[in-house]
Amino acid sequence: MKRGALLGLLLLTACYRVEKPVPAEAASANPAPVARGDGKTLRVFIWSEYIDPEIVAAFEKENGVRVILDTYESNEAMLAKLQGGGAQYDLAVPSNYVVQTMARAGLLQPLDKSRLPNLKNVGTGFLSAGYDPGNRYSVPYQYAATGLAFNKSRYTPPRVSWELIFGPQDTLRFILLDDPREVVGAALKYLGFSANTTDVSQLRAARDLLRRTVAKRGFQGFDGGPGTRNKLLARQIDLGQIYVGDLLIATEEDENVQVALPQEGTTISMDTLVVLRRSPNPELAHRFIDYVLRPEVGAAISNYTYYATPNAAAQELLDDFLKEVPALNPPAEWLKNGKLDFIDELPAGRPQRLYDRIWTELKSR
Amino acid sequence: MTRRTHPALSVWAWLVYAFLYLPILVVIVFSFNDSRFGATWAGFTTKWYGVLFARADVREAVVNTLSIAVLSTLVSTVLGTLVGLGLWRYSFKFRTGLSFLLVLPIVVPDVVMGVSLLMFYSFVRLGLERAGWTFDNGFWTVLLAHITFQISYVALTVRSRLAGYGRELEEAARDLGASSLKSFLYVVLPLATPGVLAGALLAFTLSLDDFVVTYFTSGSGFRTLPVLIYTNVKRGVTPDINALSALLVLVTVVAIIAANALLRPRRSRA
Repeated sequence: MKRGALLGLLLLTACYRVEKPVPAEAASANPAPVARGDGKTLRVFIWSEYIDPEIVAAFEKENGVRVILDTYESNEAMLAKLQGGGAQYDLAVPSNYVVQTMARAGLLQPLDKSRLPNLKNVGTGFLSAGYDPGNRYSVPYQYAATGLAFNKSRYTPPRVSWELIFGPQDTLRFILLDDPREVVGAALKYLGFSANTTDVSQLRAARDLLRRTVAKRGFQGFDGGPGTRNKLLARQIDLGQIYVGDLLIATEEDENVQVALPQEGTTISMDTLVVLRRSPNPELAHRFIDYVLRPEVGAAISNYTYYATPNAAAQELLDDFLKEVPALNPPAEWLKNGKLDFIDELPAGRPQRLYDRIWTELKSR
Repeated sequence: MTRRTHPALSVWAWLVYAFLYLPILVVIVFSFNDSRFGATWAGFTTKWYGVLFARADVREAVVNTLSIAVLSTLVSTVLGTLVGLGLWRYSFKFRTGLSFLLVLPIVVPDVVMGVSLLMFYSFVRLGLERAGWTFDNGFWTVLLAHITFQISYVALTVRSRLAGYGRELEEAARDLGASSLKSFLYVVLPLATPGVLAGALLAFTLSLDDFVVTYFTSGSGFRTLPVLIYTNVKRGVTPDINALSALLVLVTVVAIIAANALLRPRRSRA
């Protein structure tokens, strides 16, 4: 017993792998990371199932390095871990509306464009977007609009519209996304407003609409995606609000499962690649981003994830199946005429509290 | 004469067992389902077990999970038992305060514990970096975090096991000539043993399935099974994880049967 305690204590005290840190350079525009970089290990913090393992293996081989992929299940969980300063990641993959939050929290380092020659492959519509003017911190990685999905062997909508969910009739069984911005955003689009509105009266209208919606008999709860997909495959529901990419992957199993963008317009979010300020290997991180921006690599990632690629040069290399899905390739004018709203960061204060309150009320029914 | 149980009670008991075990059974059944999404039955297959064994990250996570669980259980059982015994046996100035501190890790939400430990480690790292040393979060930070919350559970289990006993037994042993060490080893410890074992088992289980604290304290590149599984919910857990769960259940069942066979008290047949 005693010996065990001693052994345990010895183990505990002999534990830390201690190394001399790299001497920090004087603070410049690009403060030197504190961590040790060996130039041989790249640590990527990313959504699960969001990059083709073969692509990662090819990068490892090409550069003689090791890539460690860690996963998170939400932007919030990723932020919390990074803000706590507990992990020495090189890259993260935040959604567009989190990029500025991360930049303000001092978590990001500005990108060195001279190391990213392949940035020219990104479609112009996706460069220098409102969430990151001039792509100071982020490079677009993969995106998906939010669509309405159905299984043709159970129910085929006459036309794909938010009306089916938010309208007065209550004959369909449906699931909504487990995400405040997506659900409130969909209600706002149905009412003809912007999904990023900060207008209190518009938000109140959306709130009242959502109250009625979740009180419907057909409402089957909120889900992040996989549950909705499985219930559609099992023909248990008529409609599901879901990220296009999360649904498309199910077509491998059942051709009848389809997804489309509602005619009133919908929300879209871009996942981006950012280099963390404390990245031990910023040079390698840039090399990885540039690698991902190659046309063939961008296409391979999309062919694996079923999400759309912002990489214009990669479009023609996509699987035919992906080229033909309208939901994956929203009409270009939709981005211009306000039908397709990128989910933006909300200004702090009253609007944000309103969104929170609406969501809390819906979830705690 | 033994009383027969009321049939309604038996039915109720079976319903409770069904409620507890059917979900596990579903997971096991679906680990043999030839569908990637497991929404419907698409035929019998064992391919997911093949997929599972080919995954290096799962193997690594299994090793990580078990090494953390075993080590942290050993350390926290020793420390927790000592704390429990101390609280039971001695009265001292900060006894109430210490009891209160022990309950804290049990009632504090996981998230608070995880984030506060993460900040503590960052704080320590900053201090060490000033002195020219540094460390990465990983195995050891997770181990310490697990021990931190396990000690409470072990200590409280041991203390409540001994709560009914006064010090008379120990004093009687001393009166009969046992040294303090002997009276501890032969009287107090055997009394506490069921509590110690229960506490160790509880600690082991807690470590095995802790997600939140582990997620925050694990740094990069160190993953346990719960972290691997939970962070995959965003795009759906793949069926090879069902296969893994089925194997875990199998191992647990075998371990319990073996433990029962080994620990069964030998009754002399009259």
